[in-house]
Amino acid sequence: MPLSTDQSERYSRQTELQGWGALGQERLLGSRVFVAGAGGLGCPAAVYLTVAGVGEIVVCDGDVIERSNLNRQFLYTRDDLTKPKAPIAAAQLRRLNPDVKVTPVIAEIDRSSAQELIEGADLVLDCLDNPETRIALNRAAIARGIPMVYAAVAEYTGYLSFLNPPATPCLECFVDGTRPAVDPPVPGCTAGILGTLEAMEALKFLTGTGETLAGKLLIMEGAVPEFDVIEMEKDPGCPACRGL
Amino acid sequence: MIIYLRSGGKLKDRLKPDVDQYTRRIEVEGDKPLRDILNEVGVPDSLVAFAFINGKLERLEYRPVDGDVITLQPPVSGG
Repeated sequence: MPLSTDQSERYSRQTELQGWGALGQERLLGSRVFVAGAGGLGCPAAVYLTVAGVGEIVVCDGDVIERSNLNRQFLYTRDDLTKPKAPIAAAQLRRLNPDVKVTPVIAEIDRSSAQELIEGADLVLDCLDNPETRIALNRAAIARGIPMVYAAVAEYTGYLSFLNPPATPCLECFVDGTRPAVDPPVPGCTAGILGTLEAMEALKFLTGTGETLAGKLLIMEGAVPEFDVIEMEKDPGCPACRGL
Repeated sequence: MIIYLRSGGKLKDRLKPDVDQYTRRIEVEGDKPLRDILNEVGVPDSLVAFAFINGKLERLEYRPVDGDVITLQPPVSGG
C-alpha cells in the first residue's frame, strides 16, 4: 500500500537513505517481526522497530517486571512491578507509533511452543537471556526457515550476528547450549547498544539496504573498549543445521 | 613456539597479562589444542566460549602456530 502523506513525512529521514525509499518503507510496513524476550535487549530492539514502522511486532515474554529490571528495561516503571512484561511493553510501543500493530504474547518459549509462536514472522529477534531458550528458538527458526538476529550480553561484553542457515551458521554452530544459565551483571547501556544493533540488522534485512552480519559475529568489548567483526564458518557437525 | 593470549573482558584476571594490560606471552611445547594450553596456564576452558585469530572464529580444538595472537571470549548469554 502506498505511503500516506503523514507516513511520507513521518519516515522521511529514513526513506532518504540510499536504497530504502518509499518502497523499502512499504516493505517494512508489511513486515512481521517476532521479538523473543522483552528485557534488556528486547526493549531497545522493539522501540527502534516500532518507530521505524515495522508493520507488526509480536512481543513475547513470560516474565513479570521486577525491580532489578529497571536499570535497563526502560519500557517499564515502578508502577509496573509484578505485572507481565509483554502487555506493558506493547502498550508503550503503541503510543510511539500508531502505524504499528503490536501483539503481546505472555508465554514461555521452549521446544514445544517455539515453532507455533514464531509462525508467520518474516524475522525473529533473539532477545533472550539463557542458552536453553535460545537453542529452542534457533531450532524453531531453522524448522520454519525464518532468519534470526542473535544478541547476548554480560557486563560490558556483547555478541551479535545474523543467522540464516543454510547460507550462514546457525546459533548452535558457535554457542554451547548446554552451559548453565546465569544472571550476569549488566549495565543498561550494554543491553541498549546490542538491542539497538539487533534492530539495525532487522531494518537492513527487511528493507534490503546495507549489509547484514550474515556469516559474521560482532563482538563488543566495552570495557577495553573494542569492537571486532570476525568471520564464522558453519560447524559441519552442528546438531541443529547439519545436512541442510 | 610463542603465542600470545589476549582478553579485554572478564577473562583478563585469569589470564594474568604480562606483555601489556591485555596480553600474555606463552611458550608452548609441542603441538596441542588451545583447550589444553588454556588449562595449563590457569584459564579453565569452561570460562572460554570461543577464540578468534586473525579475524576468524576458532574453536578450542584449534592448534596454534608460532606467533598466533589469540583473543579469548567468555560465554555470554544474558539479555
